[in-house]
Amino acid sequence: MKTRRELLKLSVAGAAAIGLRVPILSAAEKDDPAFAPNGWVRVGRDGKVTLVVGRSEMGQGVRTSLAMILADELGADWSKVALEQASPGPGYEHLNTGGSGSVEDGWPSLRRAGAAAREMLVAAAAARWKADPAACRAEGGSVVHAATGRRLSFGALASAAAALPVPKEPRLKERGELKLVGTPVRRVDGPKIVTGRAGYGLDVRVPGMRYAAVARCPAAGGRPVRWDAAKARAVPGVRGVHEVSTGIAVVADDTWAAFSGRDALGVEWEPGPNAALTTSELWARIDRAFDGPMRRVTRQDGDVAGALAGAARRVQASYRDAFQAHASVEPQNTVASVAGGRCEIWSPTQNPQRVQKETAKLLGIPDSAVVVHVTLIGGGFGRRLGADYATEAAEVSRAANAPVQVVWSRGDDFAGDFVHPGARADLEAGIDASGRVVAWRHRASTLHLTMFGPFDPKDVDEDSPWGGVDTPYAVPNLAVENNDVESPVRTGAWRSVFYPANVFARECFLDEVAAAVGKDPVALRRELLSAGEPVADAKPWKLERRRLERVVALAAEKSGWGTPLTGPGYAGRRGGRGIACNIYHGRTCLAHVAEVSVGAAGDVRVHRIVTAADCGIVVNPLGLAGQVESGVAWALSLALKGEVTYRGGAIEQGSYRDYAVLRYGEMPEVEVHTVESDRPPSGFGEQPVPPVAPAVANAIFAATGKRVRRLPIRPSDLT
Amino acid sequence: MRYLLTVNGRPRSVEAADPDTPLLWILRDRLGLTGTKFGCGVGVCGACTIHLDGQAVRSCQVPVSLAAGKRVTTIEGLSADGNHPCQRAWLEEDVAQCGYCQPGMIMEMAALLARPARPSDSDVETALSDHVCRCGTYARIRRAARRVMGAR
Repeated sequence: MKTRRELLKLSVAGAAAIGLRVPILSAAEKDDPAFAPNGWVRVGRDGKVTLVVGRSEMGQGVRTSLAMILADELGADWSKVALEQASPGPGYEHLNTGGSGSVEDGWPSLRRAGAAAREMLVAAAAARWKADPAACRAEGGSVVHAATGRRLSFGALASAAAALPVPKEPRLKERGELKLVGTPVRRVDGPKIVTGRAGYGLDVRVPGMRYAAVARCPAAGGRPVRWDAAKARAVPGVRGVHEVSTGIAVVADDTWAAFSGRDALGVEWEPGPNAALTTSELWARIDRAFDGPMRRVTRQDGDVAGALAGAARRVQASYRDAFQAHASVEPQNTVASVAGGRCEIWSPTQNPQRVQKETAKLLGIPDSAVVVHVTLIGGGFGRRLGADYATEAAEVSRAANAPVQVVWSRGDDFAGDFVHPGARADLEAGIDASGRVVAWRHRASTLHLTMFGPFDPKDVDEDSPWGGVDTPYAVPNLAVENNDVESPVRTGAWRSVFYPANVFARECFLDEVAAAVGKDPVALRRELLSAGEPVADAKPWKLERRRLERVVALAAEKSGWGTPLTGPGYAGRRGGRGIACNIYHGRTCLAHVAEVSVGAAGDVRVHRIVTAADCGIVVNPLGLAGQVESGVAWALSLALKGEVTYRGGAIEQGSYRDYAVLRYGEMPEVEVHTVESDRPPSGFGEQPVPPVAPAVANAIFAATGKRVRRLPIRPSDLT
Repeated sequence: MRYLLTVNGRPRSVEAADPDTPLLWILRDRLGLTGTKFGCGVGVCGACTIHLDGQAVRSCQVPVSLAAGKRVTTIEGLSADGNHPCQRAWLEEDVAQCGYCQPGMIMEMAALLARPARPSDSDVETALSDHVCRCGTYARIRRAARRVMGAR
């Protein structure tokens, strides 16, 4: 399997690195980096401390949490640090933001970077005072000599510190010495956001910039055959019409003229090989995998076939999730300026190195001739791991011979999305005469993700087994089989990728098994997590069953599992609780209890989600709670709202009107409990998503006795 | 065609060949007021919400010709220094995640708050349920809204 995660590690260069400034994110003033021991920390003679953020901010809070880690280890004054967003270049080789790895990867590397800088500043102060460095400490942007109370600011020490060697193995602070980590810290970009000064991709303005819209074929694989460039040019404000590899670009003085000019083109399309493609055809391709053996057995414990054959009873069920869009509120966009054998790009990207490489390749120039500025992102969710919208802007800029902002309309954003493909999972369990679960088989099929490259006929995508292969339950005979089908439509990463489909199936099925053996769903989970080896081997991960069991027990306890649901929201409605849990990539353990009511018309209301999690040290509890709220909202859209459908090879949805997402009035109360831990932090951006839909579906069963095996859940399924 | 508007208290004259040009693009592309966000262009997401003569409207649905002669307030002009009660409450509750939809949410809430009658929870729910936040900050928006209503 491809190991995409390996590409997501932070690198810390030992030498002073070139920090390319992002003018829209940080003040344009030139600082004086008197002291820059690595790529992540700079101190000016004026005492200004600049921390470099090597991950994209898309709402998950990395500009706050990563800077907290660095500032705390350094001993900087949090209220005074300046942030700078890293651009690809020497010292910043891996800036990709994905896989919920930012804090997990940043914890060791940023602490080392902060500690190295701190030791050098302390050594410089100790030398000046002729004191023992061990008697000095860094705090609040100064070095303090405890015995005498002497104090020197980082600025006063910057030049002297810069002359010292960079320690290779600096001492990291003990947990008790960290003052900022573990405290609730508000988002650093908050003041700019609430005053409209935060700079997203669409807000970039560069001198001489024009605006462009591109007409692209709605059907995957189609191409334009006829268009009326003259009509588009006749629209006031339109400057040019250019054929590019993705379609026909209209370049204009403002966005409205670009959109109007594009409408005037009247493009006729040759729809290509997918002219007749529909959603049911895509499902038929996914379903065909169940007719024979799956392409890959991803886990095999014991003898499942034998155990199923010998079981006293067998339970089976088949589950589906749906095709889903990202639908981030900021549509795709990028500013590119191609001139003189160079290209400068401002993009809301999760993947600046990919943007750099693919743009360089497109333009036939070296990587180093492409400068990529990472802007704030108005919602990423995996869509912006693709570089398509950035390279397209470079192509349009080259054709127009001017800096250009390519703006995607909302309709473009749907039509050109890399969709989360629907997946089907069939589960089967064998139960022995004493009611013990002795066999468990999970077979799943979906489309491969085109965002990451062509279909590999010899293997399955790295992500498609997630949620199946790492089934945490101790069942002696357990097998997981996976299948990818070559996707004819654009597909890609989507917050937690294939976990939602597989965890929905697995956790709903566990409830079905619990009902079959007459056990409480919490009790059966705890039984299967306290049995067997404490640590299960589910390559490439180790699953700590007891850690997950504690989290399941905590969520149940805090939700009042087993007590009646009351309150005005339940009047005249059937109420129920459901639970689901998951271990994400062998690390973060999380469980949700959903409290739900169902009305006579089959309408579902989610009243409360109680979450328990063990993700090691919590860097920013305020940010962590936000990620739970966010994951719950995201997954409730998946569970209860819209879906993407195809007709004629094209996505049928084009706005939030026909692709419904969760709204304000539908947001449940969310309560978060974390387990105290001194382990290194593990990821938390995607982790809250997968167990939401199954917890809701299990609650619906508790309320109504109806099993939901397909997402999104429709009122007609419940009447 | 030239149009005269009052934007954030200042008279502004803008040229637009197409009288149907949405005010959104005049603000963003001509006047450099990028705090008003483009989300859908069809009036369903609320990211572009501004005040037109004190009323919350979706600037993607207001042709510049209809805004002529009117008072336009954008997020940049909501307060002199970011101290409008909504802006303060939004910060205190640490509402924003990606933050992209928040200017629209804040402008909607500020318009409700400026009405003579105190808005109820259900007024707030109706108004804000017409906005999309894909990050799911709704629970904190609710807390921020209650905070400003309580302080009113």
